[in-house]
Amino acid sequence: MSASLYTTRRIKNIVAMAFSILATAVGLLFLAWILWETLSQGIAGLKPQLFTKITAYREEGGLANAMVGSLILNVLGILIATPIGVAAGTWLAEYSLRSRLGPTIRFLNDILLSAPSIVLGLFVYTVIVLPSKWLTNGDVTFSGIAGGIALALIALPVIVRTTDEMLRLVPGTLREAALSLGVPQWKLTMQILIRAARSGIVTGVLLALARISGETAPLLFTAFGNNFMTFNPIDKMPSLPQVIYEYTKDPSPDINTLAWAGAFVLTMFVLALSLIARFVFSRSKVSHD
Amino acid sequence: MTNMNEVASQPGFGTSPHASGVDLGQVPAKMTVRDVNFHYGDFHAIKNIAMDVPEKKVTAIIGPSGCGKSTLLRIFNRIYAIYPNLRASGEIILDGENILDPKYSLNRLRSKVGMVFQKPVPFPMTIFENVAYGIRHHEKLSRSEMESRVEQALRGAALWDEVKDKLKQSALGLSGGQQQRLCIARGIALKPEVLLLDEPTSALDPIATSRIEQLVEELKKDFTIVIVTHNMQQAARCSDMTAFMYMGELIEFDRTEKIFTKPDKKQTEDYITGRFG
Amino acid sequence: MHATASNAVPKTDRAIEAGRNATDARNDRLFGWVLKACALLVLVTLIGAALSTLWLGRDAFATFGWGFLTSDAWDPGNNQFGALVPVMGTITTAVIALVFAVPVSFGIALFLTEIAPDWLRGPVSSAIELLAGIPSIIYGMWGLFIFAPFVAEHIKPWLMNNFSADPPDGQVSWLVQHVPWIAKFFSSEYPFFGAGVLTAGLVLAVMIIPFISSVMREVFQTVPTRLKESAYALGSSTWEVVWDIVVPYTRTAVIGGIFLGLGRALGETMAVAFVLGNTFKFTPSILETGSSIASTIANQFGEAEGLQKSALMALAFLLFVVTFIVLLIARLMLRRLATKEGR
Repeated sequence: MSASLYTTRRIKNIVAMAFSILATAVGLLFLAWILWETLSQGIAGLKPQLFTKITAYREEGGLANAMVGSLILNVLGILIATPIGVAAGTWLAEYSLRSRLGPTIRFLNDILLSAPSIVLGLFVYTVIVLPSKWLTNGDVTFSGIAGGIALALIALPVIVRTTDEMLRLVPGTLREAALSLGVPQWKLTMQILIRAARSGIVTGVLLALARISGETAPLLFTAFGNNFMTFNPIDKMPSLPQVIYEYTKDPSPDINTLAWAGAFVLTMFVLALSLIARFVFSRSKVSHD
Repeated sequence: MTNMNEVASQPGFGTSPHASGVDLGQVPAKMTVRDVNFHYGDFHAIKNIAMDVPEKKVTAIIGPSGCGKSTLLRIFNRIYAIYPNLRASGEIILDGENILDPKYSLNRLRSKVGMVFQKPVPFPMTIFENVAYGIRHHEKLSRSEMESRVEQALRGAALWDEVKDKLKQSALGLSGGQQQRLCIARGIALKPEVLLLDEPTSALDPIATSRIEQLVEELKKDFTIVIVTHNMQQAARCSDMTAFMYMGELIEFDRTEKIFTKPDKKQTEDYITGRFG
Repeated sequence: MHATASNAVPKTDRAIEAGRNATDARNDRLFGWVLKACALLVLVTLIGAALSTLWLGRDAFATFGWGFLTSDAWDPGNNQFGALVPVMGTITTAVIALVFAVPVSFGIALFLTEIAPDWLRGPVSSAIELLAGIPSIIYGMWGLFIFAPFVAEHIKPWLMNNFSADPPDGQVSWLVQHVPWIAKFFSSEYPFFGAGVLTAGLVLAVMIIPFISSVMREVFQTVPTRLKESAYALGSSTWEVVWDIVVPYTRTAVIGGIFLGLGRALGETMAVAFVLGNTFKFTPSILETGSSIASTIANQFGEAEGLQKSALMALAFLLFVVTFIVLLIARLMLRRLATKEGR
């Protein structure tokens, strides 16, 4: 009787363990599959003109304008989101102690973190693209600026959250030590706390950059795209994910190949960023002790 | 918490002494504490404290954990005010003015009363900047004035010889004991009148501890020192006056020698002899 | 030092000090306001996203009223728009994604917290998190060029042979003969076409596995070791500890993690834009093509004018409201765990 009970229990356990290992294998298998296809198809499409020619030449061209556009859009997004995000995160961690608004905003920020990016793109379309169209009589519609703002809205909650978390890890004694010297709170925050949490905040910015550099949907209605090279932020601006999107839909296999090459470049860039972010973060742990 | 209140409400337990009766040995009082009470939300953490802190002496505050000794120290420079729901009432007279008066400027208070914490907390800056940082907020000094001021403070904290060649290096690279002396240097660089030490050696090894104790001995020539410690030997070794606190009340406050040899109160004796706490 | 500190204490003049106090107080207040304004931007973004889509979608809501939600017409030629097909497509793909992603994520979390040897945990969890870092457009491409043909070749024929009323091998299965209604969910007009609701759901599943599994792993780790150890001490097997101790202890947060994955799946655009087919015929079959809210917006917004643009905005509003609610539930459930941890 008890022997059969033991057997049932053991079988249950073995089945569960086997399932768990299988599930992990499935997860890893898909990762390997996706990476393998991106790598093999992407490398097959790699050629020098990818980095030198623009998309206007189609099959004969490359993705140079898309890469430059992506770079500009990402930099714009990060430049806008970082000061605002760090400030907001600082408020949450340092100033909202006595306010009930603090927990609410922290909570809503977590929601914004996973909100559909396509809707954020439409929001920017409504408040930036449409007004600029009216104000300039249609001269300026979609623009790099609008794209940068859309990306900033996606980066914002990532930066807010990491700043908030990192500042809350800074020991309270550091605050007390500075305040006991008579240093005002704004100086304490800017000169000591943010410096102490610096590498954590940098990690957050890098993660935000990794996140926005793969974003496609919000750029369709903000930066729109452009087959030519442009450095002007009030121009329509191409981006790597948006060109990959267009080129994937294209019926021409040669264009599809270019899309894979772009996908390869984009994936390597994003994965490299997350690796760097991890490295910065692991170093930050060391320096805290 | 309830348990504490029960004990405290027992008759004859923890009646508030008045410091005026204590013989300070003809030393003028630097800080006069009267009727100080402190609340954390609903919890009455400090009850009717009254004591005279003598000038240029070392006053130790001892007592079991949770007795309120650190809390009392943190009232002396109002550092508690950075947290919500904490309230202090009563009077602490420093140079004729009540520092608990909300009108008393925090800038002024913090330049007069310096504080060193349990764990060394160097700022994430160079050694030089750590010391110069606080000064910069209170005084405008030229480069050379600042350099001599920093040197002075580091010498005062007995750290100069060890760090004079690496002033531009990060303070985070110093040893724990050196970091704590750096924090003392940072505190005395403002030329305060009172220096509060909150268990300054609890995170240090015995050698670093004895260096800090020697330093305290030196520092009392220039500063009025209040030190909170859970280490009775330390209080006996380096203080002139000792206050024993229990459950938020000041049980006894007298010359250190007297507290450790023939205390007036039974509770003090029990604590000193290790019967509780 | 000893000589100077005692006598020469150059305290600043009272007036200067009062000035400095005022400056400090003013700067502190100003600084606090600036920070608070930035924090409020989070609020502004959320409200703005809801209001702007509602505002630009007002024409569609006014024209079709509640019928917008219940109509399956999406006909730009005749200016007829109803949200039913994209809404159903969004929900169906997300549910399919959860059906596959939840057990797999649970298995991965179990593996990483209870089974894997220590040296394996770091690399495996990093690898799974890598999966989360891949841009969604890459999932979309992989789905279109690699996975959809795979589905058409290997998964779909098998499903149709077993569950549809019109199987490629010509033999209606025993199951379909006896439970005919099941065939409705597995019919397909183009049996050799890999795109469809099921394919999109599977791509989404792969995409959200890292999110759900990392939340599960984190919450499993919050179970106090002594709790687990006492169960092991009674002779429990690993599985019994997980099922009887870990899962009940973390149930709310685990559901929160699942909702988080659901929120992601509902709002995802690029992973499904290529593999859904973008057709607007209402069908219960998961082997048919369909459309989702996000893919419809991405595909049609560029050319849309007038009422169609408004209808797309109205769709975006619906999507935002639904994901907001799902994510709200997710965060509330996850927050309870945070309180339990005493954070």
